[in-house]
Amino acid sequence: MTGLPEEYLRYPRRRRGMDHDRYPFRALPTAPPVRWPGGAPIALWIAVHVGHFPMDMPLKPFVAPGGMERPYPSFWDYTQRDYGNRIGIYRLMRVLAQRGLSASALLSARLAERYPVLMEDIAAAGWEVVCAGLDMGHLHHGEVPEEAERAWIAEAARLLRGRFGTVRGWHSPAHSESHRTPDLVAEAGFTWSCGWVNDDMPYVMATAHGPLLIMPLPQDLSDQRMLFQQHMATEDFTAAILAAYRLLRVEAEATGGGRILPVVVTPWVMGQPHRIPAFAALLDSLLAEGGIWPGPAEAILAEWQRQQPG
Amino acid sequence: MLSDCPHYAFMPWRRRPRITWPGGARIAFWVVPNIEHYEYDPPPNPRRMPWTRPVPDVLNYSWRDWGNRVGFWRMAEVMARYGVRGSVSLNVAVCDHYPEIIERCCELGWELFSHGTYNTRYFYGMSEEQQRAVIRENRETIRRASGQEMDGWLTPAISNDETTQHILAEEGVNYTLDLLHDDQPTPLITRAGSLISIPYSLEVNDVPLLIMRNTPPDRYAAICKAQFDTLYEEGAESGTVMCLPVHPYLIGQPHRLAAFEEVLRHVTSHDGVWLATGREIAAHYRAHHLAEHQAWIAAGTP
Repeated sequence: MTGLPEEYLRYPRRRRGMDHDRYPFRALPTAPPVRWPGGAPIALWIAVHVGHFPMDMPLKPFVAPGGMERPYPSFWDYTQRDYGNRIGIYRLMRVLAQRGLSASALLSARLAERYPVLMEDIAAAGWEVVCAGLDMGHLHHGEVPEEAERAWIAEAARLLRGRFGTVRGWHSPAHSESHRTPDLVAEAGFTWSCGWVNDDMPYVMATAHGPLLIMPLPQDLSDQRMLFQQHMATEDFTAAILAAYRLLRVEAEATGGGRILPVVVTPWVMGQPHRIPAFAALLDSLLAEGGIWPGPAEAILAEWQRQQPG
Repeated sequence: MLSDCPHYAFMPWRRRPRITWPGGARIAFWVVPNIEHYEYDPPPNPRRMPWTRPVPDVLNYSWRDWGNRVGFWRMAEVMARYGVRGSVSLNVAVCDHYPEIIERCCELGWELFSHGTYNTRYFYGMSEEQQRAVIRENRETIRRASGQEMDGWLTPAISNDETTQHILAEEGVNYTLDLLHDDQPTPLITRAGSLISIPYSLEVNDVPLLIMRNTPPDRYAAICKAQFDTLYEEGAESGTVMCLPVHPYLIGQPHRLAAFEEVLRHVTSHDGVWLATGREIAAHYRAHHLAEHQAWIAAGTP
């Protein structure tokens, strides 16, 4: 047997800490407690994936969840996603507004051109706007040339800043990035990002253009993952959010600090008529439990940053 | 290519020589936390790509990273509360990357055994010398980091090659988890040495259950409890083993920890449960039952 090349048994990055240089290892119990305004144990972050899925989107090197999985032209996939931006998002806006809650839109920048009216309504709802790339057809991944990626980010930033003014937060579509995405995002003036699912609290990522704050945005516990990809029931998702709330609250109270509960929903999933009552009931349950500070992401990050030592 | 798994004899689930556990327990229950590191930029393997997306697979890398930063600590806390020790299926490079995790495991009296170097370095296609080199290096790393002997083995990502079990036996490894053929320890057939199998599980393993079978948390708890109830009942006749394999990046999630806790609560609320480690199960089996099982096989399992 000839075996594998000798490099296969060499480990050049086997060392203390991470096998890359983006951030040091941190065990959450060693992170200093951070207190939310009013002593609330839970900062509630409602993050809404407002994505545009072009019908001719590339299917390689992988199909983004919710992408065109059926043969071209998939009106099936395209129109169901588009439903979210016409109908579903308005249901989410309604049930949130009825409860005095706001949200952050992780927005495909192309929608600023396509649906200016939706942009007005998002602005009027007082939602925070986070740039989620150009659209779901422009996935940032390891095979995208640097110049193309830089141009996509610049164009996405231009579209959203042209409409909303300052936009500081970034999310790479489908939680997918290239090696250099954090550098390019920081270079384009973004100060925080969400998409790395490696913590329950913020941390700082190093880039070639200064620090980038990372906000926790789960995918394991998100409506798109559980209800669309994993085919679970709506009640499985809402029960899981409540279970997470209970655990995080106990942990917050035990550590004397606060935790973040991100509720990640998607208009074409949670905005369906058969699901919206369950979403409303979930919000009611959370609000009835109490101990919640409903900060948008940038308020949560500002509090976190203000309380970091040094 | 092999058409058969060459490592064990047929041992039907009837009239087996009876297994007894310490203290008259019906069931040996052991929890196997898989404490892993999946590399950011691993080398390719001819039979399996480490990541599904082009490198860097930020989603999947960071999800597993979450397990070491957050999930492990929560999971360990719950286990300690129920007096359940872990037998760690360890990617031994974790000793170098995150020594604080190893310290915590040792503090809790957990066993460490090898799950290879990284979960992104498969045994598929390795020469025998290469496999042997990894096994030896892993033993040294575990000894250096914890003072423990490496008694057990689970090939990283269960990526064993044809000869892996033979080499484990030759290298003096005590027990392997690569085989899923039984609910009790069994003797294995290897070209030299003495290797036994201890039950692991893919049925109540959180990866297949939660990711491949899309099981919500409460169903996970119900399935694990049902697995326990049957093995506990059958254990009245002859001692059984239930392994609960877990992965911190899944079971430590805030929406799942209560389900894990519910399983531990259910198990520990029964009398006649031996809360064991892999090493303890292997030692007891070797001391009291291995020879009898071998004799029964030699007699044609009458």
